Amino acid sequence: MTDQPAISVRDLTKDFRVGLRGVKLRAVDNLTLSIPRGQVYGLLGPNGCGKSTTLKIVLGLVPATSGSFTLLGHDSASPEARARIGFLPEAPYFHRFLTGRELVRYCARLSGVAADRVDAATDEALELASMTEAGNRRVGTYSKGMLQRIGLAQAVVHDPELIVLDEPTAGVDPVGSAAIGKMIQAMRQRGKTIVLCSHLLGQVEQVCDRIAVMDRGRLVLEGHIDEVLAQRGVHQISVEGLTPAARQAAEEALSRHGAHVLKVDPPRQTLEDLFRRLVTGSRD
Amino acid sequence: MFSRIFWIARVTFLEALRQRFLAFLLLLAAAFILGSVPLRSIDFGHGELKFLADLGFGALFLFGSILAVVLPSQLLYGEIDNRTALTLLAKPVGRGEFLLGKFFGSWAVLGVFTFALTALIGIILLVREPDVVARAMALQVVPPEVSVLGLFEHALLQWLRLGIIVSVALLVGSLAQTFLYTVVVGSMAVLASQLVWIAQDTLANPEAVLSTVMRGALWLTTRIFPNLQGYNIGETLVLGQSMVLPGTVSSLSLSAAVYLVVILFLACTAFRRREI
Repeated sequence: MTDQPAISVRDLTKDFRVGLRGVKLRAVDNLTLSIPRGQVYGLLGPNGCGKSTTLKIVLGLVPATSGSFTLLGHDSASPEARARIGFLPEAPYFHRFLTGRELVRYCARLSGVAADRVDAATDEALELASMTEAGNRRVGTYSKGMLQRIGLAQAVVHDPELIVLDEPTAGVDPVGSAAIGKMIQAMRQRGKTIVLCSHLLGQVEQVCDRIAVMDRGRLVLEGHIDEVLAQRGVHQISVEGLTPAARQAAEEALSRHGAHVLKVDPPRQTLEDLFRRLVTGSRD
Repeated sequence: MFSRIFWIARVTFLEALRQRFLAFLLLLAAAFILGSVPLRSIDFGHGELKFLADLGFGALFLFGSILAVVLPSQLLYGEIDNRTALTLLAKPVGRGEFLLGKFFGSWAVLGVFTFALTALIGIILLVREPDVVARAMALQVVPPEVSVLGLFEHALLQWLRLGIIVSVALLVGSLAQTFLYTVVVGSMAVLASQLVWIAQDTLANPEAVLSTVMRGALWLTTRIFPNLQGYNIGETLVLGQSMVLPGTVSSLSLSAAVYLVVILFLACTAFRRREI
């Protein structure tokens, strides 16, 4: 079964009926997609493009109008498949009166973690989410970033093979967003398959191995992140101490070999990198 | 399966206990019951204990019914609107297990509500009993007697009755798309169940002139809606004012259990098809 893709979707279509007249709205249009195991897979697209609907269909939360799909080689409605996946929905709400630890324990029980393993699994999940210290506080007191991190902890407490994250960094500041990015990397190192649904393209670029881009319910691009972003025939050289004379000499040398300098700019750091360097708690 | 239902019910119970609506109705019902004590002289000639018991049991059922419709609807829609249901149903949790967890959690809260108010009614009746007995002895009439066992049996029957209402609310909630619709339709179903005895009496009356269509409609009504009025035997059980046929409590309990199983089965079936 391990040669089966983590998620396989074939000719998937989903129509919603809206309004009193039941006008048909097509959310997913004949989508075919295969998400390999052991990778971080980014599912991208603008709001309303069908990303979340696709995930909900695959997780068995919404019925498809037509098409077929499997989860880890199983029917997504089967308990075997459900026990092997973890899901963090967009903007999740958890019971405010529970502590973070109680919430993760509750989810561990529901996910079928053996009674004698619940405490250890809870501790591990809280540690992975960097929520050990805040674990004894009530969920109602958590910040947005902490809510997302405790959401991640509940999604991974049963050590699933496949983790589906729907907008895990929505509304989270760059520091919290970077922390979630690190958690995703840590899970990948453990051999998990992660499906990341987001429109924070910078983060997706940093953490994803492959991406798929959806627009109006259709797949418009799919491939390895390096392949889809590469500009063929163009190369970048970083130089330190470039004087005007050195630059002219370099351009002449390159010209002799048929190459042309397109632009010479000082490299820019990203605003996110700058912010993370300046703000407390964001340094590695 | 039972473990998952238990954990969902436990969290539902804890969440429901924190609802202000529960505290409000509990206080309102308790105030209503306590307020009947100074008014006991207006007993319409039926006797003080009967007056207190009637008002107490009436308040218990009225406020309990409101709670039994609103609370499960609120908890179900709260979880769907807040996406908590998405998180839970993506786990190896069946939709039926989720709904049954909601049912048992809500029903447990109604158990607290029912037994707390019954205890209050019992205390009032037992405190007033010696005075009433002394007066009856002075007038050389048979004094009424408060049965603690009867109080317990009555509380059990009311809890079962409220359980049927909770299951009806969840059935409607599984089909409906809005909280308001669930509450309105659920309340109408409770009202119909309270009045179904009229249809039963009409069908049983050999002198009633009914067309075939009307007879069929009444028959169907008596089969669809449980007769909730049949559970109103508190006065008989607690004050022994009339004879309770042997096996009545068991028979009513069994009937409630059958209704619970059937309604919850329908609710789970409907919820399986629902888009979350």
